[in-house]
Amino acid sequence: MNDLTMTPAAGQQGQATGRDVILSAHDVAKTYQMGRVEVKVLKGASIELATGEWLSILGSSGSGKSTLLHLLGGLDQADEGGGGIRYRQQEITGFNSRQLNTYRNLSVGFVFQFYHLLPELTVMENTVLPAMVARGRLKWYRDRAEITERARELLSQFGLDHRLEHRPRELSGGERQRTAIARALVNQPSILLADEPTGNLDASTGGEILDLIKQQHEQGLSIIMVTHDSTIASQADRQVHLVDGIVQ
Amino acid sequence: MYQALLANRYLTSRIIPLIAVAAVALCVALVIIVVSVMTGFLDMLKSSGKTLMGDVIVGYPVRGIPHYERLIDEINGLSTAAVASPLIDSYGLLRMPYPEGDDKEVVTVQVWGIQPESFAGVTGMADSIYWKELSEQEAATARDDDFRRRIKPGMLGDSLTLTDPVTGRRGALMGIHVSIVNDRQQDGSYEPKFDHWWLPGGHEVTLTLVPISSKGSISEPRDRTFPIINEFHTGVYQIDKSRIMIPLEDAQHLLRLEEAIKYDTSGELDENGRPPVIGTSPARATKILVRAADGVTPDELLADVRMAYERFWMKVAAEDGVMEVPPSRELVTMLTWEQQLRDLIGPVEKERELMRILFSIIYLVCAGLVLSIFWAIVYEKTRDIGILRSVGASRLGILWIFLRYGMVIGILGSILGVGLAYLVVSNINEIHDAIGQDAPTWSWVAMYSFGLAAAIGMLVSITRSRVLYAIILGLVAISLGGVAFALQQHVGTVIWDPAVYYFSTLPSQLDFFTVIITMIGAIVFSILGAAVPAAKAADTDPVKALRYE
Ligand SMILES: Nc1ncnc2c1ncn2[C@@H]1O[C@H](COP(=O)(O)OP(=O)(O)O)[C@@H](O)[C@H]1O
Ligand SMILES: [Mg+2]
Repeated sequence: MNDLTMTPAAGQQGQATGRDVILSAHDVAKTYQMGRVEVKVLKGASIELATGEWLSILGSSGSGKSTLLHLLGGLDQADEGGGGIRYRQQEITGFNSRQLNTYRNLSVGFVFQFYHLLPELTVMENTVLPAMVARGRLKWYRDRAEITERARELLSQFGLDHRLEHRPRELSGGERQRTAIARALVNQPSILLADEPTGNLDASTGGEILDLIKQQHEQGLSIIMVTHDSTIASQADRQVHLVDGIVQ
Repeated sequence: MYQALLANRYLTSRIIPLIAVAAVALCVALVIIVVSVMTGFLDMLKSSGKTLMGDVIVGYPVRGIPHYERLIDEINGLSTAAVASPLIDSYGLLRMPYPEGDDKEVVTVQVWGIQPESFAGVTGMADSIYWKELSEQEAATARDDDFRRRIKPGMLGDSLTLTDPVTGRRGALMGIHVSIVNDRQQDGSYEPKFDHWWLPGGHEVTLTLVPISSKGSISEPRDRTFPIINEFHTGVYQIDKSRIMIPLEDAQHLLRLEEAIKYDTSGELDENGRPPVIGTSPARATKILVRAADGVTPDELLADVRMAYERFWMKVAAEDGVMEVPPSRELVTMLTWEQQLRDLIGPVEKERELMRILFSIIYLVCAGLVLSIFWAIVYEKTRDIGILRSVGASRLGILWIFLRYGMVIGILGSILGVGLAYLVVSNINEIHDAIGQDAPTWSWVAMYSFGLAAAIGMLVSITRSRVLYAIILGLVAISLGGVAFALQQHVGTVIWDPAVYYFSTLPSQLDFFTVIITMIGAIVFSILGAAVPAAKAADTDPVKALRYE
């Protein structure tokens, strides 16, 4: 494993140029246990994201893109003994579960291929969910007006003004994904982690979603986007390839 | 905060949790109804015991206690006693005034010879007298044709002296169910089946008692005719069915327990040809009923009564030339009303506790039900759990969603259950009466119609190939048809036969303690049932939960 991860190409390809690094993975490994068989998905991947940068991770299906994104978002743990993940000056591999929850809640926002909205909640409720999770009852009642206003702004910016009280099943795929992006942004995170955000949409709807992500990027958001489609990846500032469990 | 939102949404957006609520409600209602009715019985038993017999009963059956007046004086002197009243209890034959002709009906009765004034002071007799003018309050609620509306002042004898107002003769009070004339109505009031056989309206009964001599042999029976002054309704069926109350002196006479001159039959006759007089044999009473002064418990009174009896016995026994010495304290039974009724109360109390324990199993059913339903819901909501974790929700937060959900089901279910129990218990006598009659035609016609509607709905669903609806409607049609058939076939059955169950009405009050305990139990067990699926939810790996659509 080590000889593979030490290839200089991996380190250089993953490096951000110039500005401060906001999020980075150093030599992380991830092994899944399938019965008796160990599947090594990541074999020492390293990556760096600069503040305000839009980075695409390209890779074929099953190459471990989602796995890497989950590790970066603190949703999953890398193998012990391997490298770690840093967010600003902190090693998130060493976070306890409370710190991890806060990190997922405030520092990053996830967008998934299959939208992953809660079917029982309205568009508005889905959007403010991370803000509710961040607060107890009292703080929620205190901040509710302000947060709802921010959510409303985001949603209207995304063209969803007339959909606020609708349930996800009443929306088109594009509308669902726009809701999901609004949800990811409601707590004003520093990083957006998007896992094939257009993977389930037709080309023109996917284009609209990409425009929306581009807008956020222009407003200074740092973005990692995972995709297997090189034309979509090319919209980003920089692309890296995930091959054989290593970033190239 | 999001937990409350989600718990409420999960509750209202699907049917299964509503079924759980309904099941919890039914369990709660069942426990509360059964335990409340049994507690009601216990309370009725206890309060009837106290109002029927006073707090402490001194008893020496058959031959009775001689010089009982002095015992009563002794007891009345106690600061713990309010009133004491002498009583003679025995069994006899009662010849009723009906039917027409010479071949009258004869029934066996329990006879209580009472001293009406002190007896009314010890017991609640005055309240149990049935035939009297309605109070304003009663008049407001009673039926328009209630027989008691026809009772005018002066029409009935004086129950407090047991005398007939017209003739001045001493009369009797009879339990309302002794005579077959009185007919119990739906609303619990009584009506004479034939006005002219209304016994307090000038009819007489003849009572025959069999005296037992001091040697234990049967003497010549004695009888006496009494006008019926009034009838009483204690609510205790056994008593209302078989008791007649007559003045103490009549009972003493009929049983040869009155004061009498005693002759020496073994010796020579005197100059008038009579045996020589030995002295006067005192009158006797077989029971003394005592009511405690305010704030005195029956047990405190009992201790004092025991000492009073001891003093009474010493005084009488120490006197020169006393004719008959009362039985010593060991031979006389002295009991509080609770002890007197223990044979009756004990089993009912045990039965109630057994019921409580048996019905606790129902809580486990509730918990199991909530558990299985929640297990399914957690399984179905795995992806939601992953989503929540991805936006930063903690394991405890996820746990709390489902615990809260279980708690809401427990609370809703127990509130509905209490409501249901309240409806059933407060109408239990009406429900019982309704079961006791044939079902009205409209009820089964309506049921058949609904069943038919459901069957038509089922056929329509089949033609549109909606299998689920077809099956549900089919089941509904079958059950409605079954209910309709059962109603149509139903002939009145009296489930609650007062002759078997001691009381003539069912208790119709919720037992507060039971309500509270049952509600808490249902809520706690719903939460416990939710705990296992909630823990499973908390342990869900968010990555796996999110991975696939
Ligand atoms: N929980 C798991 N157990 C076993 N294998 C897994 C698990 N999750 C992912 N994998 C495997 O890891 C590999 C990478 O998956 P993923 O990160 O989803 O790839 P990508 O997003 O690039 O398509 C796949 O071969 C997948 O089958
Ligand atoms: Mg993937």
